[in-house]
Amino acid sequence: MLEEKEHVHHFKENGGFEVDIRMKLESIDDPFTEVPPSDEMTVFLNQHIGPEGDPLVKKGDEVEYGEKIVDFGGKGKMCVPVHSPVNGEVKGYASVRHPLSGGKERAIIIETEDEEKEPCYEPLDPKEASRKELLERVKEAGIVGLGGAAFPTHVKLGEENISHLIINAKESDPNLASDVRLMMEKPQWLIEGIKLMGHILDVEDITFATRTEEGETPEFEELLRDNDVRIKRVRPNYSVGSERLLVKEVLGKEVPSGEFPPQIGTIVHNVATAYATAKAIKEGESLVSRGMTFYSKKTGGKNLWTRMGTSIEHILEYVGVSQVEFERIALGSIMMGPTIPDPSYPVLKATSGLTVFTPEESDPYEEEKPCIRCGYCNTVCPVDIYPQMIMKAEEKNDIKRLQSLNVLDCINCALCSYVCPSNIRLTPYLERAQNKIRKEKG
Amino acid sequence: MSEKEDETSGLYKVGDPPHIHIGFDKNQLMLKTFLLMSIIAYASVMVMGIQALFHILIALGTVLIVHGTMDSYQKWRGIKPTYDSPASPLVAGMIVGLCMPIAAPYLVTAVVAFLTMFVFKYMQGKYFDHKYLNPAATSKSVLFLALAGVFRFVDSEIAARVYHPHHQELDLLSAEGFEGAMWIFRGETVPLLGAEVSATQGLFFWQTHGWIGGASGVVVLIVGIVAAYWLRYKWRIILSTLGTMTILAVGTGLYLGGDPLLRVAFHVFTGSVIFMAFFMATEPQSTPMPENSQYIFGISLAILTFVLQIYNVVGGSLYALVIMNMATPLLDMIVIKSPYGHRESKGGG
Repeated sequence: MLEEKEHVHHFKENGGFEVDIRMKLESIDDPFTEVPPSDEMTVFLNQHIGPEGDPLVKKGDEVEYGEKIVDFGGKGKMCVPVHSPVNGEVKGYASVRHPLSGGKERAIIIETEDEEKEPCYEPLDPKEASRKELLERVKEAGIVGLGGAAFPTHVKLGEENISHLIINAKESDPNLASDVRLMMEKPQWLIEGIKLMGHILDVEDITFATRTEEGETPEFEELLRDNDVRIKRVRPNYSVGSERLLVKEVLGKEVPSGEFPPQIGTIVHNVATAYATAKAIKEGESLVSRGMTFYSKKTGGKNLWTRMGTSIEHILEYVGVSQVEFERIALGSIMMGPTIPDPSYPVLKATSGLTVFTPEESDPYEEEKPCIRCGYCNTVCPVDIYPQMIMKAEEKNDIKRLQSLNVLDCINCALCSYVCPSNIRLTPYLERAQNKIRKEKG
Repeated sequence: MSEKEDETSGLYKVGDPPHIHIGFDKNQLMLKTFLLMSIIAYASVMVMGIQALFHILIALGTVLIVHGTMDSYQKWRGIKPTYDSPASPLVAGMIVGLCMPIAAPYLVTAVVAFLTMFVFKYMQGKYFDHKYLNPAATSKSVLFLALAGVFRFVDSEIAARVYHPHHQELDLLSAEGFEGAMWIFRGETVPLLGAEVSATQGLFFWQTHGWIGGASGVVVLIVGIVAAYWLRYKWRIILSTLGTMTILAVGTGLYLGGDPLLRVAFHVFTGSVIFMAFFMATEPQSTPMPENSQYIFGISLAILTFVLQIYNVVGGSLYALVIMNMATPLLDMIVIKSPYGHRESKGGG
């Protein structure tokens, strides 16, 4: 097991930071428990990177668990279908503020009738099915990257001329442990998923990149070795698990600025996505549930298997805490995820975690002090940009300067804010700067 | 299809990520810097005696009085206090105390501390978006320039005790002149050991002349390295400043004459260089952010300091530092390192 380390001041120049992982440590030993669906499920039409699909149901329709309720229509390859997480009745559509985009988006409200789970699709035999059929199944089942980005999986798996597949089990985020729980609890399914991904991509060179230490997941590691999957133990620093940085860590190559890993013949998939892919192909399961880590100081860490559309208030009730105990709720990564103003918000495909803070754990950035130009931010920046100078240029709206400071290469890991001794939240400045440049470029 | 409006109760506070912080703030940074400098102060008092302690206490007392007055004034006027703890003023006071020459009148120390705190910390911070000039270095430079002017026209004991007119007669460019000038550092007897030190030993371990903070160069070196590592000072500035000074000292020794080791001891281990390199040249606000610019800053600072030092300009290192502070906005604009994705073509590497 991981040991708690002294976490202050482990600055690693050019490559991240050993953040405080006490939340992760408190969560790792907790096995998954399944959260029953809430009485009313709120299913957003759009839960991935890409355009919203076309709804297939109307008010009053009966829907079954795993049934497609949003189709990709003719909106291009980036569109991903959405499925009903329960057997139930469609109560209508709501315009709800999306936790990720911040804007109001359409969601289907489904009244839950029972908790039964019967897959909607027929299992496929990978030996019999063609590559096209397998890819179609991944798309049809609504699989997206479960590491947090929710990028359509079929798009990545459909890339040609790929020589290297990296399975990302780094799970850098200090509050998450659901990936490592999957490795402990579902090793056989993970191996199936990894092999299927390699098969679809026609790649033999597969690396399993993990921060786990020898002996932490023995059964799974034995399976990896038996299946000729190379294990790469990645240093535990935060943000090394980011796709671009992981490529460098594993292959020693950098993904060129503005490009993606396929440009250098590499594909990176999250380990939970491999699990979802295996379930979709071999059991006909559409993506309607996922593992996530809940953390509060009161309960410690809990790994939950949750259906998309389940309200946060239902999860709070399930873990035995009151929604009024908290001041802030963060979705997903505690370093990169959004906060929500209301507990009625639902779990999305990208929701890898839920962290709640009491008023005693107030926002550490509330008392912002003037910048002292200490340079901590650029010292820890894993992509070697200058957050403080970007902040100043953003304040002055100096687009030329922002471009020269390469702000588009920021991976939004938020390490700069995390280490700032003046408690300045630099991340929003960087995001605004990126938006300004993108707008300038049209 | 029915449309349900979003009913956001606003039960929770919302904010951008991240949602956790390392828990180390600038007050802690300042406090730890102050504690580390206190070790140097202790060593200095051991070497230079009670006079050094008085200088340090006068500097600290002055900055705390200014800070207390300004803090009360700002609170009275309903302005957010510039400093939410006395940690930063304490560091400024300690730096002033340690960068004063032991022979300076206490009044001069108090004036430098006042200028540092009021003019170059409070006012500079108020009227500019950050502090472009190192407060202690600038206030001492301004005062020394003024005193130098006074000394030229008026026979002032105060000015003389700061300005050291005999320095003008030193010849550091020749071997004989340099060796001769080093007499002041030799012959001191170290208590307890009872040993008499040579000039080189004196410069390394036991200086009773010059900056209070340089009384024991070795102590400054050790404490400075610990501070730079622990508190993540801009170490490239320290390395390039001291490295360049060492190279210049050895080169001068070999080319112009004079024991190279003694040259290194003098040019690197006097307080005006070693204390300045660790605790003044790394002052974050007035120094460059880009790593390569920090090297340029340090090398240029060393060259300027060396030239001014060898031509007997009293306070030369501080003038050099202020000049480099003024060049910092320019240095911030150049030599930005290539970020991830720009360093290799087509992912090679």
